[in-house]
Amino acid sequence: MSLEVRGLHAGYGRLAVLHGIDLTAGEGELVAVIGANGAGKSTLLRALSGLLPVTSGTVHLAGTDVTGYGPEKLARTGLAHVPENRLVFPSLSVADNLVLGGYTRRRGPASARKEARDRAMALFPRLEPRLEQAAGTLSGGEQQMLAIARGLMAQPRVLVLDEPSVGLAPRLVGEIFSALGKLRDDGLTLVVVEQNARAAFAVADRVSVMDRGRVVLEGDPAALSTDPRVSGGFLGGGFAADADATTEAAPATGATRAADRR
Amino acid sequence: MTDLLQLLFAGLSQGAVYALVAIGFVAIFTVSGVINLAQGEFAALAGLVAISAVGSGLPLLAAVVLAVVSVALVAVIMERLVIFPVKRMTTLVSLILTLGVSTGLKALMLLVYGPNAEGLTPLTPGGFSLGGVSIRYQELWILLIAGVVSLAVYWFYERTLAGKSLRACAEQPVAARLVGISLTKASLLSFLIAGTVGAIAGVLASPIYFTSWESGLTLGLKGFVAATLGGLISVRGAVLGGLLLGVLETLTAGYISTGLRDAVAFLLLIIVLVARPAGIFGRTAEARV
Repeated sequence: MSLEVRGLHAGYGRLAVLHGIDLTAGEGELVAVIGANGAGKSTLLRALSGLLPVTSGTVHLAGTDVTGYGPEKLARTGLAHVPENRLVFPSLSVADNLVLGGYTRRRGPASARKEARDRAMALFPRLEPRLEQAAGTLSGGEQQMLAIARGLMAQPRVLVLDEPSVGLAPRLVGEIFSALGKLRDDGLTLVVVEQNARAAFAVADRVSVMDRGRVVLEGDPAALSTDPRVSGGFLGGGFAADADATTEAAPATGATRAADRR
Repeated sequence: MTDLLQLLFAGLSQGAVYALVAIGFVAIFTVSGVINLAQGEFAALAGLVAISAVGSGLPLLAAVVLAVVSVALVAVIMERLVIFPVKRMTTLVSLILTLGVSTGLKALMLLVYGPNAEGLTPLTPGGFSLGGVSIRYQELWILLIAGVVSLAVYWFYERTLAGKSLRACAEQPVAARLVGISLTKASLLSFLIAGTVGAIAGVLASPIYFTSWESGLTLGLKGFVAATLGGLISVRGAVLGGLLLGVLETLTAGYISTGLRDAVAFLLLIIVLVARPAGIFGRTAEARV
């Protein structure tokens, strides 16, 4: 397994958000994690990349126990996180954003850095003519491409992405997700957190559905896309009929959902 | 006309000192949001260390190097002891903490070096007159060295990986951590830069403006005003802000009243904070250095 998460608990201070997440992604697999707003998807990624401390549970990256690693160490070990809202470095040029993406590989061979950059450019040819432009002047779609390319510059084993489709036109969403599909075909392991279930289902090998800090459904996208609980969940804004909007703040009521887990 | 040129020249050399102090404020503030009120004390301490080293027989250049290195070390130790341990740093907390350091350093300087103001030996003593404008060699040194140091700092932020990583921390701290940049190392590096440029300002200024245990207060405040004029996030803005402040001060002192000299800085500060909080040269409040 490239990424193996077992019984992960995490939260903000005394507020527990994740209640025992299990998630695996094999080499060259694209796993989508979907769920309504407040299901804990971003929290999961923040815990995975070390931005948020793990309360209990384990995370293994390519066989190494990386539980409790900080973000710098995780980046060096091979996990790249493409954050929500892209967070490119606005006043730095596109080229400099890429250079900083390879920060953890700065002492590695220059040939490997160049290869990573060439691959990223081949994946997003639109960035090439904009290399000297300040990243803040790019369009939203281009910034997302840059954020992904920056992540790839770290030469990761596992790339995790937080809502890459957010705020983008449907055509761009398609472009981004087909790029993710290409990366998967090249053998990279990807975990994509998405609210845009349709885009995620189109390329994912497996889908995990999160609700209230738990994985409530898991399976292949073809089977799940016809599951009434999935469509009802997305269109209705929650999984259970009694779901309230503040699911993150209600850890105790989530206990009954354990029955839904496979 | 000669008067004006004389005032402009004096103002520029004074402003160049402010500019260096201002760069120190910018270097630290952009990375961690810390406003370092001990920045002026870095300059005063460097001046006093150099003076006492020369007094004990060290050659001038060796004394200057000793002063810069020891103040850079003080800045780094300060970061580790006072800034690093704080989990949730805010600008307000940083003001209180660095005010404490500033007071402590002042007390230490008073204890060690006594209450008298002294001037360091100039790099080149004397001066000359050019078309009625009298120019001290030390003033030329100030302009030259401040210019070189400013360019070097600018080059560092624009061209080197370490400099770019500091800018990344300033602009998007979360993304900076995700690409593997350590914010604590970045903060330490920013204090090293601030200590070094502050110390250079101190040893450059000392032969003309003299140094005492308390001269860091005025210098620090003027540097802060200069940095604020430039928006507090831009090296270029800090340098321009410093030069502008120096010139306005000497013009005020020369044409209006010497007593109003220090008031200029604070009047400017109030005007800028009210009318153009992003600095007079800043277009937006976007973080850049």
